Amino acid sequence: MTSFNKKIDEWMKEAEARPASAVAIVKLVANRLRELTERNEELLSENIALENGTRVEEYQKRIAHLEYQLELLKRRFGVDEGTLVEFPATPAVEASTLSLLIYNARGRVFRLDLDEDAKEIGQIVGDVVGNDEPPRILAVPANEEICLLFTSGRIETHSVSNIPTVELGGKWDWSQAALPDEPRAGELLACVAPFSHLPLSDFFLQISRRGCAKKNMTSLAQSILGNHYIGKGALQKSDQPFDLMLCHKQDTAIFVTYEGKVIALDVDDLSYAIEERIKLSTTDYVIASFIAPVDATLLCVTQTGKVIQRESKSIDTSKSSTAKGQVLIPPSRLEQGVRFMGAAAVQDGDRVVVLDATGRLNLLEAESMTGAGSIEAGGLILSIGRIPADSWMNLVKV
Amino acid sequence: MSLKVGIDFGTSNSGVAVFDGQKVRLLPVDPKNVLPEVIKTVLYITKDYRTYLGHEAVETYYRDNVNRQRRYVKQWAGEIEYRGADMFYVDDVFVYVDELKPGRLLQYLKTALRKDNYQGTQIFERFYSVGDLAQTYLNLLKKRAEEVLGESIDAVTLGRPVKFSESPEMDRKAQETLRQAAHEAGFKAVDFELEPIAAALYYEQSITEPQNVVIFDFGGGTLDIAVMRLGDAKSRKVYASGGVDIAGSDFDRTIIEKRMLPHFGYGKVKHHPEIMQMIEAIPDWMALPELGTPINKNILEKAIQAKVAPVRLKALEHLIYNDLAFTFYNRVEAGKIALSSEGATIISLEDKNIALWELYTRSQFESDIQHYVVDVEKVLLDTIAKSGFDIEEIDAVVKTGGSSNIPLFTGMLERIFGAEKVKESSSFSSVVAGLAIKAWM
Repeated sequence: MTSFNKKIDEWMKEAEARPASAVAIVKLVANRLRELTERNEELLSENIALENGTRVEEYQKRIAHLEYQLELLKRRFGVDEGTLVEFPATPAVEASTLSLLIYNARGRVFRLDLDEDAKEIGQIVGDVVGNDEPPRILAVPANEEICLLFTSGRIETHSVSNIPTVELGGKWDWSQAALPDEPRAGELLACVAPFSHLPLSDFFLQISRRGCAKKNMTSLAQSILGNHYIGKGALQKSDQPFDLMLCHKQDTAIFVTYEGKVIALDVDDLSYAIEERIKLSTTDYVIASFIAPVDATLLCVTQTGKVIQRESKSIDTSKSSTAKGQVLIPPSRLEQGVRFMGAAAVQDGDRVVVLDATGRLNLLEAESMTGAGSIEAGGLILSIGRIPADSWMNLVKV
Repeated sequence: MSLKVGIDFGTSNSGVAVFDGQKVRLLPVDPKNVLPEVIKTVLYITKDYRTYLGHEAVETYYRDNVNRQRRYVKQWAGEIEYRGADMFYVDDVFVYVDELKPGRLLQYLKTALRKDNYQGTQIFERFYSVGDLAQTYLNLLKKRAEEVLGESIDAVTLGRPVKFSESPEMDRKAQETLRQAAHEAGFKAVDFELEPIAAALYYEQSITEPQNVVIFDFGGGTLDIAVMRLGDAKSRKVYASGGVDIAGSDFDRTIIEKRMLPHFGYGKVKHHPEIMQMIEAIPDWMALPELGTPINKNILEKAIQAKVAPVRLKALEHLIYNDLAFTFYNRVEAGKIALSSEGATIISLEDKNIALWELYTRSQFESDIQHYVVDVEKVLLDTIAKSGFDIEEIDAVVKTGGSSNIPLFTGMLERIFGAEKVKESSSFSSVVAGLAIKAWM
């Protein structure tokens, strides 16, 4: 206190020596007082947060989230507590096994472990589609974690390795497929998303059938996963969730619709609230959505096997919430009934799995699809799934 | 045709100029600076030995260093021999080295020339002698000047203080180190001119009649005084010159000692002796960056946990371990400069765990540096006495250099010579302009 009084005396001395300095001193002290008052308010509110426990809760949530992320990473890299201690960890054999998941809206999932010689993957027999949306295809490492999103907004996580496999090249009926999580009454399985990159991702991005988008910070993962609920991500009651993906803020997300529209969005620009990002006609809906690397090629496949390709960087990034998107199917062809059934952003070396109406699953090189401009199939195309080149190369090495 | 320039290798700022017989051209060697003709005497050397100077050095330093991650590894530094009457053994010496350190920022290179206890410094794997540092800086400065001029420079007139050091031996050694550094930097011919005389040559351009002039060159590192007859090339003569190791950096140091150290508890808290040593090292720009060792961190952490003035110690820890030293010295210097025109200013440093705020008035500053005024006045009067002139015979006192703007010293000059005789020359460019004139002569 004494030293502070001494300081004040020194300031007074300056004010006496140069009266103009008095104004400057008062201003500087007043500014400081304002800064300190603001800081004091911040500290008081922090104190309240500490006293009523909200800060503690927040930190507990963060810790729980980090623990969950650690658990996911451990599972992904195939380490347990024992191997963690004996660092460096030895990756599990499964890490190099590539699993193909074919799933339908009823929650049925076929898991096939691919090998490098696979050409004819197999065939789904019986009623391939039923009254639902066509089955969808996802290629993931066998040690991946997956998240099942249901049309009610419910989510569940599972390990791919826990899903029983079916024989490669065989014929299978949906009744033979695994049911990792049975949809509840009124629910359908909307999508299956790879999930082990959660700790390394910034956001969950949800896309609805009618072109709504919503992002959530992955820091909220603990509460989302704890409640098993992420929400529908749709504005209208009739709309349904279509896709869920993990992304970074600098990523570009692309949607492709049934009637041939495509739109690119900067993830960073997307709202945390649900927003309609593309204006669709009443009969149109999203059939594919993905994060597209800048150097990727967008492949869109029509029901007759015609392949339309575009460089992903040629797709304009939309800032508007009511964009109509770029048209990839000309109106004349649209009138003739041409529609997109599947789309993917592919790069050199990628492979594509094609499911046709006969239930046959064929494996094609992405380059061959773009080169030929069409694919031959036993029937109408139902859906496609991409196998990234690096996953395929791992398979070849093994 | 060989081109010769004048270079003012100053303690805080440097500059390059060229004279064509008619006009002095100050070269914009630091385009990013507020005054592009003035470049900070600051050198930044990265881990892969890329070198930057001036504004670019500071920018790169800030980008790479502030709040960066650290990782200390134990590194073999050498061995010590123990010898006794009946024993002899050798022991290894290890030091902790921050292996993530991206580079070293070096300032006050000129002061290093006159420090007899400073041989140089280890920068990652290489040892840079004082000469190596000066050579690196001069070489980069030469390249910048060549880029501006579009032709190569072969020769230079370098400025030097009247006294690098009070010791004639150190003085000679400092000049020779600088000469060698300039040669190694690529200048084929190197000569020197005293900085106050260079300032006088520039002042001479503005007068029409012969005058007895006192040059009062008060910069960042030294005070240099020359008493001269100017105005006619034939009768131009230096009657006396003098100098003293008092200047801007000493005032900064004084401000830190008197006003900033109490923020870390100095004189207020009874700290552990090792912590006191750390605090006492703060005013020394060479010592502060070296304090960031794991041992010191451990000492600080323990004291913080023991709640011995934890806020002050956390601030000290943050200053040492977040590479804020350069910012800290700059804030102090900026406060000092502000007091040349304002009656009061704020010296502050705010970061995550540090919140220094000091309202500093001109009266406080003048009180803090009063003892220097006595020394400066003595040197000034001694030099004039040595010249054989009476005070009344002096026609003009030309003040140059950043510290000459401090009102306390302007007041002193006005008191001794009369306000009408005290002239102000360009603070940052009169010396380099004069050196360019000398280079042309």
